[in-house]
Amino acid sequence: MAETLVKKFVVTRFDPDKDEAPRTESYEVPCHPDWKVLDALNHIKDEIDGSLAHRWSCRMSVCGSCGMNVNGQPTLTCKKAVSDLPDTVEVTPLANFPVVRDLVVELDGFMEKLKSVKPWIIRAKEKAVEEGPMRQSQAELEEFKQFSMCINCMLCYAACPVVANEPEFLGPAAIALGHRYSVDSRDEGAAERNEIFRGEGTVFACSYANECSEVCPKHVDPAAAVNQAKFNAVIDWAAGLVLPRGGKE
Amino acid sequence: MKHLLLKIEPLIWLLFGQGILLGTILLTGWILVVNLGVPLGLISDDGLAFQRAHELGSSLVGRLVLAALCALPLWKGAHHMRHVSIDSGGAGRDAVVAPLLYGVAALGSLLAIAAVIRL
Repeated sequence: MAETLVKKFVVTRFDPDKDEAPRTESYEVPCHPDWKVLDALNHIKDEIDGSLAHRWSCRMSVCGSCGMNVNGQPTLTCKKAVSDLPDTVEVTPLANFPVVRDLVVELDGFMEKLKSVKPWIIRAKEKAVEEGPMRQSQAELEEFKQFSMCINCMLCYAACPVVANEPEFLGPAAIALGHRYSVDSRDEGAAERNEIFRGEGTVFACSYANECSEVCPKHVDPAAAVNQAKFNAVIDWAAGLVLPRGGKE
Repeated sequence: MKHLLLKIEPLIWLLFGQGILLGTILLTGWILVVNLGVPLGLISDDGLAFQRAHELGSSLVGRLVLAALCALPLWKGAHHMRHVSIDSGGAGRDAVVAPLLYGVAALGSLLAIAAVIRL
């Protein structure tokens, strides 16, 4: 049997009913060499301290539920091997989000931002079913496919210095999601989204730190989406100044 | 002020983007040629003779290029400094910092335009 690795997990604890401020608690965890950080957290909850609250589901980097800051780095805990970490592992809730309890953060603001960019196909006139499917070439698919791989794990928000300073900023995932639809050949809603991108949570607030793309576990490259969205929003704005009817059909 | 800044953000980003293009490509080439190539004798300085440079600079295209070379990097610098200010915890003071920085860039741009007109 493989030798166990004993790691010290320093975990942020916060119970809004009892604690005035977050505190930390340390646990000595005998880890199997193949374990991920999530396995260690589940061990703590199952064997050491059942009061620990953390969010998780699929254990295979698909659901995006188990994002936390591990040794300061926004990380999917089901993807990070404990063997890659030092003897002391600090686990804190994702940065830049309000904490509900322990390692669980509030999702409402994030969900509102996702919804605000109209993440669906917008058509001026719906195509009737009998007219057949809307076909796309491989090149048209490639335009948006990468940006559709986001699992909404929110690591990019925890890493983004602009989200930290400007809470109203739409943020990497929401902009990438909106951009994903705007560059879809079936969509006709780019002008509506460009207005949103120029609005309160403006895409121009992004200072291109590129941290979002660095931490993205699905290699979505939201920084590229944000910068393409900026460019499209500027072109749309300039067209509105010089073209009749703002360049709109 | 916040609303006004939001309104003109696309224009500022456009000037900033073009400033990056000119600042990083053309000005870098200019520095390499004038500050390194010519002093080291790698490039002949015949092309920098006053008469020739003046004729080139005072043509319509020359004036436009010179105005852009002077003005746009100012917007690049102003926008970068604004974001450094915000990223270092200065979102609250942005209503003062942004107009100040963009004001300097606008003033510099006007001076650059006046200078190339007088060439």
